[in-house]
Amino acid sequence: MKKILIAIFLFLSFNVTRAQDLVKKIPLNAFTVATIKGDNVFKLMFVKDFNESFLGRKLLTETSKSLDQNFTSIEDFGINVEKNMYYFNQLSDSITYNCFLIPIKDARKFESLIQNKEKKFTQQGDIRTMVLPDSTSIIKWNNDMLYFVAGSINSSFFSDSTKSARYGIKEIRFQNNYDDVAIADSSVVVSDTVYTTTAEPMVEVAAPPIIEKARVQKKASPGKTSKKRSIKKKTGKKKAVKPKKVTWTQNVEFEMEADPSEEVVDSTATAKVNIDAQYDTYQQERAEQDAKKKRLALVWMTAQADQIFNGNYQSIENNKSYAASLDDKAIAELWISSLQDAYNIIAPGFGTYGKAGLMKGYGSLNAKLFMDNKSFRISTGLELSQEQADSYKKILNRKLNKKFLKYVNSEKALGFMSYSIDTKAYLEEFPKLLKQTYGSFMGAKMDEEMDLGADLISLLLDEEAVSKVIKGDALFVINGLNTKEVTYTAYEYDDDYKQKEVTKTKNEVLPDFLFMFSSDDTRLINKLIKYGINKNFVTAEGNIYKLMEKKSPIDVYLQIKDGIVFFGNSLTEMQGIQNNQYGSYKLNKMHKQLLSKNNFSFLFNAKNLVGKVPASEMGGDETAKKFNSTLEKMGNVYMKSNPIKGKLVSADISAEIPNGHENALKYLFSLIENAAK
Amino acid sequence: MNLKQFYKLLFFIALIPLLSSCFEVIEEISIKNDGTGDVVLTINLSQSKTKVASVMLLDSVQGYKVPSKQKIQQELNEAVAYLKKSEGIANVKSTSDFNNYIATVSFSFKDVSNINNITKNILARQKIKATNTSPYLYNKASKTFSRKYQAIGNAKTAFNKLKAKDKSVFNGATYTSIYRFESAVTSSSNPASNVSKSKKAVMLKSSITDLINGKVNVSNTIQLSK
Repeated sequence: MKKILIAIFLFLSFNVTRAQDLVKKIPLNAFTVATIKGDNVFKLMFVKDFNESFLGRKLLTETSKSLDQNFTSIEDFGINVEKNMYYFNQLSDSITYNCFLIPIKDARKFESLIQNKEKKFTQQGDIRTMVLPDSTSIIKWNNDMLYFVAGSINSSFFSDSTKSARYGIKEIRFQNNYDDVAIADSSVVVSDTVYTTTAEPMVEVAAPPIIEKARVQKKASPGKTSKKRSIKKKTGKKKAVKPKKVTWTQNVEFEMEADPSEEVVDSTATAKVNIDAQYDTYQQERAEQDAKKKRLALVWMTAQADQIFNGNYQSIENNKSYAASLDDKAIAELWISSLQDAYNIIAPGFGTYGKAGLMKGYGSLNAKLFMDNKSFRISTGLELSQEQADSYKKILNRKLNKKFLKYVNSEKALGFMSYSIDTKAYLEEFPKLLKQTYGSFMGAKMDEEMDLGADLISLLLDEEAVSKVIKGDALFVINGLNTKEVTYTAYEYDDDYKQKEVTKTKNEVLPDFLFMFSSDDTRLINKLIKYGINKNFVTAEGNIYKLMEKKSPIDVYLQIKDGIVFFGNSLTEMQGIQNNQYGSYKLNKMHKQLLSKNNFSFLFNAKNLVGKVPASEMGGDETAKKFNSTLEKMGNVYMKSNPIKGKLVSADISAEIPNGHENALKYLFSLIENAAK
Repeated sequence: MNLKQFYKLLFFIALIPLLSSCFEVIEEISIKNDGTGDVVLTINLSQSKTKVASVMLLDSVQGYKVPSKQKIQQELNEAVAYLKKSEGIANVKSTSDFNNYIATVSFSFKDVSNINNITKNILARQKIKATNTSPYLYNKASKTFSRKYQAIGNAKTAFNKLKAKDKSVFNGATYTSIYRFESAVTSSSNPASNVSKSKKAVMLKSSITDLINGKVNVSNTIQLSK
């Protein structure tokens, strides 16, 4: 199963024509949609180049070997590599469908891939269907598309006895199955009759679970309901249950603890519960129930797959959030309809902390991958509720202090991180956001307390005053590395190998960091410094203060200048700032834009680190060489937040590719090739 | 290196940050002609003190929890308490210097076999089945001192399971053993060992990685003049 998924994914990864896009086949209620845009991928790299690449060769030789055929191109798989391929899933309370939609160019080629061996498929019109050996997935295709669906039953659904009884399934638990068995027995009869007495295809018997918002299932079995009803009448669900119930109650009367098999009932007085036998029965019953669930899943999957091919339904394209998340240039896209729902689905796994509603207000999530001639870029976006978006807009209404920019040296900087928020807005909006995000976590009863807490914060804090002390913008920059002489203790040995403690010195490389934030009102900070001096936490060297922290392995200096509070570990740098001798650095355009246009930015410039760290500090020449060669191959890596658009917050992570490479995809392939050597 | 040291060492790994670090483990054993003597074990991380100090400010590094100063002191005290109870062991002392990151444990023994017992008990306590305990032996009559060492298989496997990043912590780390005697040394069987000018001490220095991997053998038989 896994292998098939991987195989399908591989196909997905590298193959896509320009006919009707398969997105039209994705139902409106899909929860997650992932796309690989074959046309964009193969704009960056010819199919021929792919076939000749390490990955391509590997894929072709492996498939050739396992299928005992000779493939020379990924096009031999019969898949259309220049069209979009999709993965989507659909969730309901009872089953989750994992589905792939792959465009087909040559169905015969594809069939030759799978048909081989004993695997057979059925054909109806031009639609071919194949149920995979373990019955957990179905492949269906015609001349234009391939559809793969794997359904997995939600076990939690079937632990609800009333729901599972509807499908003739019973949750079996060891040591607690005395009464369950009887019920299960009764249901077994029902379901068995359902499955065995009808000559009708199974699909029509068990209607697939209704997925919310789904139009698919509404039209799922028009005109077939009557048949279903008649079947139900025939099998007589209630009749079947009743007599069994009688036996069950009788059993209970005789012997509550006994296994409800006839033998035990006969000799109730002497019956001893044989744990082993009981366990065997349990195992057997469990296996039966599991098989039943599997059959049910197959019935549902078959109906779902038929729907994809023959149904008439609204596609995901009609979902505004999905449509808005698309980008023509992306080579891959991921969209999740609701973070809140996604959280609710995984939440039960978190135990008591997993109370539903924690992610309230968070809407769809999307991620896009771009590759071009300069870089890789991943762009992510999260939809907020209108309230949240308004709060964030207020909070993010600040730009980084322009004065900060002169303290970044693009030629030497290893990296920086900056952020700018409006402290006042933040303090005002924070209680609201907190309430929205965690309110339901605390339970409805806590609403009043939450409100009270929010008011209390507002009362205690003078947002205006706080925002004057800490305006809300800050920059952390590492302007290079510096060597520092440090002493350490070593031992020398005399003629008698008697130990003698000696103090030696060595050079250590330490990054020079500088941290700064704006402050319009430095009185409080000045007071703190004064207090520190009095208490011997701080020593003054002119206008520069040194923090006396024994634990800290480095010296930290502090100063206030031009409404900026600086922290740094290089005294020379701090003195330069104090004496206005620091402004000669050139900030390159890219760094300047990154810092001044975004509320959040992060940059790591690996090249400036090459050869700067002595080998001795890295545990030997070999490690150092590897480290440096890795760094040399890295371009700038940076992150930035984008302005809020509507209700969407988004951020980008980019990694530049080194010169001499045509584009990021080819670069990626060359990296893989190198790694494999 | 006996196992006690090895565990101490593993314990200290948690302290050592990314990539490098130089640290040394020193084992000194002084044996008198009558077979009694003293042991001093030293772990010196002074050369990496900036890194250690940085790491001590963190909760965990590379997935290893960083022990607090108190926790280290407590472990050290426990080791001392354990040694005090051990047969044939006396004068147990420990020192710890958290400015330079140097810790020592010292004690006297009635017979070198007492050290072997400690190792054995530690092994038993850690539920490790090992036949090789790197025993020390001193024969008063023939005046020979010997140490049989075999790389601990478990240690090698455990070490090789570590990520390269974690392994590199051991790069540059050294192990030194010094044996001192009252009588002059006439021969020392391990070619990697050196006899002091005074002829009364033998030193063997090796890298810890080589030791764990079994590339270096610290077994030695030392003959003293009669």
